[in-house]
Amino acid sequence: MLSDRTVRNLSDAFLRAAHATLVRQAGDQCAIAPASAAWAESKCGGGILLMTISSFTFRLITMFQVADGEPTRHYYTAGAAGKTLDETFSEFANMCCGALGRELYAQFPHIGMSIPYLLEWQCARHLRDLNPRMLSSYDITIQGTARVKATLAVCCERPLEFDPPVREAAQAGGELELL
Amino acid sequence: MDTDTSVADGQAGLSGKAAALAAEVAELKSLAEAFERWHQDMIGLTGCNRSLHGKGEDLMAVARGLIMVSLNAAIEAARAGEAARGFVVVAAEVRSLAVQAQKLAAELRDGLHKSNLLTAATFQDIQAGGKMMMAAVSGLGASVSRLTR
Repeated sequence: MLSDRTVRNLSDAFLRAAHATLVRQAGDQCAIAPASAAWAESKCGGGILLMTISSFTFRLITMFQVADGEPTRHYYTAGAAGKTLDETFSEFANMCCGALGRELYAQFPHIGMSIPYLLEWQCARHLRDLNPRMLSSYDITIQGTARVKATLAVCCERPLEFDPPVREAAQAGGELELL
Repeated sequence: MDTDTSVADGQAGLSGKAAALAAEVAELKSLAEAFERWHQDMIGLTGCNRSLHGKGEDLMAVARGLIMVSLNAAIEAARAGEAARGFVVVAAEVRSLAVQAQKLAAELRDGLHKSNLLTAATFQDIQAGGKMMMAAVSGLGASVSRLTR
């Protein structure tokens, strides 16, 4: 259903989006490591933030969980008085999915994006009930202290090929930082 | 002269069709209201699930309480000796029922989490699909307006 190349391209597009948007300032260090689905389903914060990008024949579901510790809270909520960590982070998740959507748009002009929705963390383990053809989870650490769990699930009933145009930045800068 | 008339008739016919198409496109933009209604429905459904979660937690607390009561009853019955032998059996039955209720409450909680995720994912798909369709309709509308110019 999904070729290895498509899986790699979708992962890369998601990681580029995460790298570019989950930091408060360009230049903040962002380390991303692949993680197991079981790890992604465990509790580390208040809830999970769900967002969907849909096209006619496929949908991408992204799931984020921000760690409930002080370093993560401080990183994302500094300067956002009166907002909870989940509220503040939903804006970052929105930007991340927007960036991923733009990458997809180059090949799939008919796509749309949902708004974020917060669910209890225990819902995460049921993501596989949606029968995703691809399920990738990542442990994201920003500035060495703020932690985010991110998962990308791809659901489709028809073969999907994703070959984004080659990016100049990727060519110049080489591989994405994967620690 | 006949040719001019037929060209003019043809243009008028095309303009009429383009205007009808433009009206259809404008009508299709009302889809946005349906998508908003479905979004509100999702909020209602997940609110209902949340309420069921609360009831499930209450059920879990009742089951836990029953287990404690049945344990204490068994201790008291054992203390009472031979005379309370029948009561020991009753206490054991109550405990067994309470353990079953606790298991059911846990399954209910898990089922509600699954329901929450499936509901949210489905409605997000509808919402994202709706935005995709609205963009397509807008694109169609732009093409139609170029035709009518």
